[in-house]
Amino acid sequence: MIGLNQANTWEGQVALESDVARLRRGDSQALESVMARYQHRLYRYLLRLSREPALAEDLFQQTWMRVAEKIRHYDPNRSFEAWLFSVARNLTIDHLRRYRPESLQEPGAGDEGGERRLAATGPSALDRVLEQERAAQVSGALAEMPVIYREVLSLRFEEEMKLEEIAEVLGTPISTVKTRLRRGLEAMRHQMETRFPSAGAW
Amino acid sequence: MSDTRDKKIGEHESLRELLSLAAADALSEAELHALEEHVAACSDCAAEMHTWQALAVGLKRLPTPQAPPLLVERTRVRMAARIAELAEQRTNHWVIAFLVLFAWAVTLGTWPIVRWFSDGLLSWLEWNFNQTWFGLATYAAVIWVTAGVAAAMLGLRKHREGRLV
Repeated sequence: MIGLNQANTWEGQVALESDVARLRRGDSQALESVMARYQHRLYRYLLRLSREPALAEDLFQQTWMRVAEKIRHYDPNRSFEAWLFSVARNLTIDHLRRYRPESLQEPGAGDEGGERRLAATGPSALDRVLEQERAAQVSGALAEMPVIYREVLSLRFEEEMKLEEIAEVLGTPISTVKTRLRRGLEAMRHQMETRFPSAGAW
Repeated sequence: MSDTRDKKIGEHESLRELLSLAAADALSEAELHALEEHVAACSDCAAEMHTWQALAVGLKRLPTPQAPPLLVERTRVRMAARIAELAEQRTNHWVIAFLVLFAWAVTLGTWPIVRWFSDGLLSWLEWNFNQTWFGLATYAAVIWVTAGVAAAMLGLRKHREGRLV
């Protein structure tokens, strides 16, 4: 991912800060550079949260319009990436809360089946499936996760954000991020094992 | 003896719960070190670790859906227009603030001239403050109403031309 590689180098970070500073001053020329860095990643994140391409596109536009309106209030001491994704997240959550409030419900502590799965030992069908890198199945399983797990898994594994940045995006403590990561991974594993229950010996 | 065994089982279970977070690279140095020591000695946890790591790799290797080019271009155009609009609004606010200050300066600056023509240069030193201040207030009100009507007409004209003032 070009945008991620650009942002991770020191030069990339300096260039980003310069572009953001120009954007804050109202320089629309900087817009193209900033969008090029984040367009695919932001779209991917919105698609993970919303699970609908049409909605993701709508939220994509709304996010950037909100950035245009709020960029002068952005604190340069914060991570721009975390700020951008928090804007996107807030818009998505507002939409889901209005039209799909049931999708925001957190599963009960014992619902994921993860604790049951932790007791399993030995090589599993899951290992064979994942070894064959069936990305489509992983993607499908991820799409079936509750949104609070989808977002933290996407931010950690796809956006490769640090825990502190994820906490900033979600507006929660780091401990909550870790809890959701753990539960999300357990739920993912359960989902994968449900999809491929008899591929091998248990 | 059974206390030691229970303690080891408890430690095993608590470390086992860290396996998924280890695959997410979300452990502290101390936690990771303790876990690595345990995994080196526990084949069950080593197998579990492998499974969690495989899941993590699967998540990292998910294909990245690309934002449609038309969507990006449309968004960029709208965003550029919005930035320009906001910049113009800010400029207008400063212009209005300047005009307000200028108007007050003109009002106060021309008041002595008006008084001089109407009632002599030093008449603004009269003790009858009601008349003096009433005159000033009336004069200011006339100027401000005139300016307000002119600004409203200008704004209406620009609005009809399709531009925001």
